[in-house]
Amino acid sequence: MMGPLLRTEFLKIKRKGFWLLTFLGPFGVVALQMVNYGVRKDYLFQQSDDRWAYYLHNVHDFTPLALVLGIVILTSLMASIENETNAWKQLMSLPVSKYSVYLSKFTVLSFFLLAASFLLMVFTLLYGIFLDLGPDIPYADLARYSFYPFFASLPVLALQLWAAVIFRNQGIPVALGVFGVILTYSSYSLPDWLIWKWPTLMNGWNEPVLNVLWGLLAGCALYVFGMIDFARRDVK
Amino acid sequence: MEFIIETSGLTKKFGKDTAVSGLNMKVPKGEVYGFLGPNGAGKTTTIRMLLGLMKPTSGTIHIFQKDLQKERISILKRVGSLVEQPSYYPHLTGYENLEAIRKILGVPEKRIAAVLELVGLSDAAHKKVKGYSLGMKQRLGIAASLLHDPELLILDEPTNGLDPSGMKEVRNLLKRLAEEEGKTIVISSHLLSEIDQVATTVGVLLKGKLIFQDSIAAMRKQAQQKIKLRVSDGEEAWRTLLSRGMKVDFKEGAVFLENASDEKAAEAVAVLVENGFAVYRVEEQKSSLEEIFLQMTKGERDK
Repeated sequence: MMGPLLRTEFLKIKRKGFWLLTFLGPFGVVALQMVNYGVRKDYLFQQSDDRWAYYLHNVHDFTPLALVLGIVILTSLMASIENETNAWKQLMSLPVSKYSVYLSKFTVLSFFLLAASFLLMVFTLLYGIFLDLGPDIPYADLARYSFYPFFASLPVLALQLWAAVIFRNQGIPVALGVFGVILTYSSYSLPDWLIWKWPTLMNGWNEPVLNVLWGLLAGCALYVFGMIDFARRDVK
Repeated sequence: MEFIIETSGLTKKFGKDTAVSGLNMKVPKGEVYGFLGPNGAGKTTTIRMLLGLMKPTSGTIHIFQKDLQKERISILKRVGSLVEQPSYYPHLTGYENLEAIRKILGVPEKRIAAVLELVGLSDAAHKKVKGYSLGMKQRLGIAASLLHDPELLILDEPTNGLDPSGMKEVRNLLKRLAEEEGKTIVISSHLLSEIDQVATTVGVLLKGKLIFQDSIAAMRKQAQQKIKLRVSDGEEAWRTLLSRGMKVDFKEGAVFLENASDEKAAEAVAVLVENGFAVYRVEEQKSSLEEIFLQMTKGERDK
């Protein structure tokens, strides 16, 4: 069942700008460092002996924001495809289970976010090489900083997807999303249990992998909650 | 008789409001079932429940003798549907819209061209649906419902937004599907005139209750024939006929003969002529199905 549903989902997002957004997000994050290093490269080079680590850290300052914002936009866009002419009723009158419809939406969104994470890694690497930060490229850290935030933000994705498909008025999920972006932005001073802090990979133990674990656990829990609630509701 | 759809005690409540109450709907195989009722009677709610879009508050639905609650997916594989305003993806072309549904249904790609041809949209297939007229969107919805060649078609107001020639085309298409391919079709409408040429069975829904369900022929029988007589001095003529023990009425200066057979009509005319009345017109007045339908739904609505 999932194969055809996924192919259908990919067909439906045609001309909706998903690929463009997926490119723009990571590109924007790296572009900010292009400006940063373009303006004060010498100063930044003096800040640390490990130029690669310092550079990755700078890039990562903006990754969580772009990611949370991207989740809000993509989930809302995804839901609007069905909401626009209430195509939910047509989709659900087909021989498909509600669970698989929900899973297909979640899968497509995860795919684009993973693609964005991959692009982030590529752009970060390319600009790092261009900056000539040194011969020892920290590939492991590069991959960590690119993909950990995605897993750590799964609960936000699950929550936003649920809100976007449940509320016909997209103002509600978007408001929730803006609230989340603000929380992510100010996460430095927020407690560890807030899911919007997780994509920053900060926690009291200084162990980024913890955020990935929490993200996977809470992401699964929120996903299951959202899916069951979605299936329980009448299609309007 | 084999019933394709059979509901028992089907009820749906929204909070305190009862939208559909105790529906025992029976749709025989191969029939075109006209599902009638004024706006807000609960037709769409019923149809949504038949498609598993809404869960009934109580009661059961059996389609193809299977419990919808338990076997929704296997039932829906054999059902084509169109609910209310057509749903579509405006940024995709007509062809792509059908392709999105076809992938899920898993039918061969050539079905798309076939159904587009059937509803007369072949020329607009590769235009974005955004630019379609309401009638074209409606046809696209009908095309989508036919993709997997379903045994049962459930169409909610399928002629909405169509021009008269479009309506006629859809009617002819449905007639053909029922007669030549033996499909069972449920069409809802708030206008009897829209379906009285295709429907073979009628269910009338009013305020969530099924107040009539039988063949359209049975409904026609309720259409009483009257003979209207225009004569000189109508009131006097009416009295004369009454005194002969005939069932007559006097309205708007004319005499109405109820349940008139040929003999009764002849007798009435003879009596009038014998008594020196001039008979100007003898007309048959048949109340149309639409009038019966209105009568059925009127009493309740006035309350």
